[in-house]
Amino acid sequence: MTEQEKFEEIVARFVELKDTSELMMDLAYSSLLLNSRELAEEVQRLEEYVDQLHTDFELLALTSDFKKEEASGFLGLIRLGVATEKIADAAAEMAEVVLRGIEPHPVLKLTIKEAEETVTQACVTDNSPLANKTLKEARVHEETGMWVLVIKRGGKCLRPKADSRIQTGDILIASGYAEGVEDLKKLASPEELCPIE
Amino acid sequence: MPHFEKIEYKPIPVRELLLEMKNLSELMIDLAYSAALFNDKELAEDVIELESRVDTLAYLLDMEIMVAARDPKDAQALIGVSTVAAATDKISDAAADIAAIVTRNIGVHPIVGAIFEKVEERLMQAIVKQDSAIAGKQIGELDLAASMGVDIIAIRRNKEWIINPEDTERVFRGDVLITRGAPIGIKDFKDLADGKHAKPEESP
Repeated sequence: MTEQEKFEEIVARFVELKDTSELMMDLAYSSLLLNSRELAEEVQRLEEYVDQLHTDFELLALTSDFKKEEASGFLGLIRLGVATEKIADAAAEMAEVVLRGIEPHPVLKLTIKEAEETVTQACVTDNSPLANKTLKEARVHEETGMWVLVIKRGGKCLRPKADSRIQTGDILIASGYAEGVEDLKKLASPEELCPIE
Repeated sequence: MPHFEKIEYKPIPVRELLLEMKNLSELMIDLAYSAALFNDKELAEDVIELESRVDTLAYLLDMEIMVAARDPKDAQALIGVSTVAAATDKISDAAADIAAIVTRNIGVHPIVGAIFEKVEERLMQAIVKQDSAIAGKQIGELDLAASMGVDIIAIRRNKEWIINPEDTERVFRGDVLITRGAPIGIKDFKDLADGKHAKPEESP
């Protein structure tokens, strides 16, 4: 590996770490809003994944033969990783509330709904333009500003990929700015009210 | 030594306190990463300031919960609220840790920022100067998203923070604006706020 490639590898690990910690926060808030054990368990699984990622990232950074004058920059990188892991921990602590069987207080649900960045769920009805499209074709983010975090199908949580096909009856858990919530619900269940609400 | 705000009990709804903690902690994460990856001291200092605000909110919220819990049933209903509030406080601490990489002059290796610049939007602070063309205007009138690909995600006015301001919100001289966008767009916007040129397309 050239020096450039090594750096790109370290940065790639860091991006994965950062993205996963942010996904965990969104999922943790979703688990509280919906009082969902499945989502809370997903957060705990991701927490284990983050711990592994963080270790890999630190080892990679420490074993790259950086020059003495680069030590400070590498220390900064290590600290960035530690703080990111701390964010993931905080998300796991939120999800733990659900796993301990504490019914989330109405104030929690209200806060999550009213926040600038929020989470929501929408179910896909058969007249929805999303039904039978892959996530890539569905362009949910372009249309609504919301990111699909998880697809719930028959009691299972599926992590969305570009080629995941959306089916009628799926429940989409999504995050984004509050403005997008209604747009997403309209797109997923055009005429009828979502039976889960 | 940092200045610690004196804590006095004020009757503020738990919902309001928690909402502000959640909103601020999420803004802080975005600010902190951008500060660290692009070595931006101004953003880093905003994060440090917000951290002390969140700490104060955490004290106030704890007191509200103590006052509200009168019996074991209340305690059981409220423990989740205090756990989540503590987690948002922890997130804001983590953001402050990231900001400290910048304010303590450690810095993140510049190549990381160089790689991020290609893929990520970044945040930048812009201060509205007296002779800026945007002073007194509504955000909607500025049409920033179309002309520069820039979004104003927060405004700091004196000690108050307005997060995700509405299009009808006006910007005033002295406001500190936090903007998000492609690196070139936000630099143009900073010049505009500075009063360096009227509008980017009119500059030679």
